[in-house]
Amino acid sequence: MKKLLVILTLALISCSMLFASGASESSSKSDNGKPTITYTFRDDGRGSDQILWKWIEEGYNSWDKKDQVNLDMAPITASEGDYFTKIALQLSDPATSPDLVCEDTFQLPNDVSAGYLTNLDSYVSSYADWTDGKYYASMQKAVTGADGSVYGIPYCTDTRGLWYNRAILTEAGVIKQGEDWAPTSWDDILDACAKIQANTTDVIPFWCNSGVATGEATSMQTYEMLLYGTGERLLTDDGKWIIDSDSMRASLKFLQDIYNNGYGPSLDLVLNGQASNTSARKYFPEDKLGITLDGIWITGNWKSTGPSPVADYATKFGLAAMPTSKGQTPGTVTLAGGWAFSIPENSDAKELTFEFIQHLMDPEASYLSSIIEQGNICTRTDVGPIEEYAKQPFFEQATEFLKTADFRPQNDKYSTVSTAIQYMVESVVTGTSIDNAISQYGKDVIRTVGKENVVTL
Amino acid sequence: MKERSIKNTQYIILAIIALMFVLPLIWLILASLDTNASQALNMPTNWTLGNFKDVLSSNRNLRGFGVGMVISLIQATVVVLITGLAAYPLSRYKLSYKNVFMYSILFMTALPMIAVIVPVYKMFLTIHILDSITGVILYLSATSLPYGIWLMKNFMDGVPIELEEAAKIEGANIMQTLKMVIAPLMFPGICVTFIFTFSGSWGNFFVPYILLSSQNKLPASVLLYQYFGQHGTISYGPLAAFSIIYAVPSILLYILSQRYMSKGFNLAGASKG
Amino acid sequence: MSQHSYKIEQLKYDLKKSILLIPAIALMIGFFIIPIFMTVYYSFTNLALTGSNAKNFQFIGLLNYKTMFTDPRMWASVFHTLIFLVGSLIGQSLIGFFVAYFMQKKDQTFRSIVGPCILAGWVMPEIVVALCCFAFFDTSGTMNAILQTMNIPGVKWLYAHPMLTVILANIWHGTAFSMLNYQSALGNVSSSITEAARVDGATRVQTLFRVTIPCIKDTIATNTMLNTLSTLGVFGLIWAMTGGGPGNATTTLPIYMYFQGLKNFQLGQGTAIGMVLLLVGAIFSVIYTKTLGNED
Repeated sequence: MKKLLVILTLALISCSMLFASGASESSSKSDNGKPTITYTFRDDGRGSDQILWKWIEEGYNSWDKKDQVNLDMAPITASEGDYFTKIALQLSDPATSPDLVCEDTFQLPNDVSAGYLTNLDSYVSSYADWTDGKYYASMQKAVTGADGSVYGIPYCTDTRGLWYNRAILTEAGVIKQGEDWAPTSWDDILDACAKIQANTTDVIPFWCNSGVATGEATSMQTYEMLLYGTGERLLTDDGKWIIDSDSMRASLKFLQDIYNNGYGPSLDLVLNGQASNTSARKYFPEDKLGITLDGIWITGNWKSTGPSPVADYATKFGLAAMPTSKGQTPGTVTLAGGWAFSIPENSDAKELTFEFIQHLMDPEASYLSSIIEQGNICTRTDVGPIEEYAKQPFFEQATEFLKTADFRPQNDKYSTVSTAIQYMVESVVTGTSIDNAISQYGKDVIRTVGKENVVTL
Repeated sequence: MKERSIKNTQYIILAIIALMFVLPLIWLILASLDTNASQALNMPTNWTLGNFKDVLSSNRNLRGFGVGMVISLIQATVVVLITGLAAYPLSRYKLSYKNVFMYSILFMTALPMIAVIVPVYKMFLTIHILDSITGVILYLSATSLPYGIWLMKNFMDGVPIELEEAAKIEGANIMQTLKMVIAPLMFPGICVTFIFTFSGSWGNFFVPYILLSSQNKLPASVLLYQYFGQHGTISYGPLAAFSIIYAVPSILLYILSQRYMSKGFNLAGASKG
Repeated sequence: MSQHSYKIEQLKYDLKKSILLIPAIALMIGFFIIPIFMTVYYSFTNLALTGSNAKNFQFIGLLNYKTMFTDPRMWASVFHTLIFLVGSLIGQSLIGFFVAYFMQKKDQTFRSIVGPCILAGWVMPEIVVALCCFAFFDTSGTMNAILQTMNIPGVKWLYAHPMLTVILANIWHGTAFSMLNYQSALGNVSSSITEAARVDGATRVQTLFRVTIPCIKDTIATNTMLNTLSTLGVFGLIWAMTGGGPGNATTTLPIYMYFQGLKNFQLGQGTAIGMVLLLVGAIFSVIYTKTLGNED
């Protein structure tokens, strides 16, 4: 009996030893003496058929340095939230760190302040496309850390606006046949909603993400689209979080107007994690929704290969820029997100990787076809006008929005504050008074950033 | 007559409960047969087996099912063996530390995976067993032990001690007694522990996800997430097909064990009666 | 014999009789207990996965706990956790027990149909369980479609009764475990004992309560205990169905932990909340020991 136990225990230990040595061997970088670029990205299915995979592979094959370098694909299969956890774990140690990583610009500030990413200032200074204005200035801002340095090369982005159903808006008398809708203030939106409510049946006038369950989409796509439209931001220029202001109240008042007047969807539809899919795949394509505040990727749902095909979506629907609150300059507003290529601090092939990034971002190599396939908006000014890109329905217009696009704060406390925003928005749409919602928001933000870092305007 | 109507009522009640448990699956089944599946309950306009074909024609998925099977089968076997051994002293001897031991290992399992995973990752990094399937098996085994020990001890308590004593008189040592007398008698319990452990690791996403990184080592539970796209979009059709295939092994295991379980019943009955 | 030497005797006995426990203990110390102790330590630090604290984390004493206990949502989460726990326990145990009980001595084919039906919800991955239940309880989902055929107006399940809905989802997911447990335990109750009771004139119900249930009381205890601890840790199911909302109606401790700690990678904060879960688990362990104690 004792013998068996000893054997069992020994077997367990030796097993783990064996595999331990195996594992550390495989993680050692270069076989055949060449340096290796390990590339990590979020896997959205289909293995080597998928876009980010194909892009890098084709890019590697057409790269003139390919004979000097190995490429190692290391995709991460997970939902978006879990991707960030794994990335943070891997970046923190040289043994597990990749050399090239896809970073959400929203996550970038965190990884920058953790010291996980390489400061690219000295690299971009000799990257002609970067200094010659081949990238949208707003996108360059999105990858610039709080210290003013560049930490990534943006490769895709997205913008948000008001999608509308032409037939519904025409029937309601908001626009005439064949006319585009171009609201110039929040009041225009509310007027349109009132007309839809009065003149159509069984149509929800307006939809925007409004709950905690829709997460960042509620903070960024609803609240910040409104707040930024008043000219205010979440933080003051000297880095203090604003916890009470007239602009905040005006933004919440707009949401209150939407829901109190019955312009919004019923709350059971919008206060759950599937709300975006419900509006984009069901209510909007089925002519049961007039206007929806959503991002450009929504069109992916309506393509013939998408989950909710709409044959004539290019003409059936319209896209209007989100107006500022009273039509003040710049007239319209959008928030942009997007992804960037970054080089981890722990990478052991930084120069080569940066050269590889430049090759990947070359529109004449593989960038153009990849960005089209991704269904995302390009980050380069010289790709926007290319016919092949611009002929995709709505893309020319949505790319145009980038000129006035703004971004979420480059602050590593933002993701916690964002949760507080979601609570605030949800409490207002469920009937809490604006005063109470704002005061709770103030308490939440103070708990996160400290009393000394907040301000009331 | 009365006896019979009671029996019929029981059949009806069971049928109703079973039906209620199947209803939530309707969406899953419909979605798996729909080319344009969505989260809403829809009759498919285009019926298709394409989703299943897609899932099964991918070498990566097949490999994932295989890897998952290896991990889960080995882990469940390890757990059954180790807990079988551990349950014996806990069930048969008066150990002074028994209750403290049993309850303290158990309450530690209340800590959700997401709280412990970072220390685990750091530990695996230090001892160089990241990205090792053995490491995952060892970790999954260790974390299933508290439940396993409880289950096994409980089932072993149900095995009458008399038969064991008879074996002892005939000169069997503890290992022989465990193997020849106790194990057959508590076979249903061993099945429960095995199925429970198997399903637990078969469905565990977070542990292999964090501890493995090579593509060819990922089990099916991780590959499931390939159907979750950008901006919260989900490919419901393939996801549903994948899930249905995914559920098959555990259900087969259960049906298989049911057959043996009824044998176990008889034996246990005989010993007590 | 002095008290002292008695203790030494007991210790010798314990050690001698514990050899079979060695593999289990070795494995648990290595891969289960050490990480938990590390987690306990982290709850007193400002460790973060990323962000400024990731570089150099410090011991910050009870600050995480102070932050946690001053948040009213924390107490609401404890309360929601308890409701979720009690609701799930009652549902899973009762249904699991009665299915197992009625399934005894039923037709083999019938059993092998009913069993997998109950099991289906258990063997699905958590995220798929959540999606299935979401589609089921959606306002235009299966449940309301069925109610409508019976002329009962639909209910906004996830919005009007979110806690009930996630409890029902968890019952769907978890009942199979209780069923398996009870099936196996009932198998050990000799049919001759129950038959003898019936011959003595006891009714079916009396036999159930006076003979069968006392016979499997240890299994009831173990099953309740294990269900308690697995229910305390439920995260993915609630997260995918309601995200802890509407408002914070379904924010249980794991969800709260995720919000406060892990969403922003503030592990120190998160683990401190995890400690509350450990504490709740420990309290239940003590309660169960006290009520069921001295079993041997």
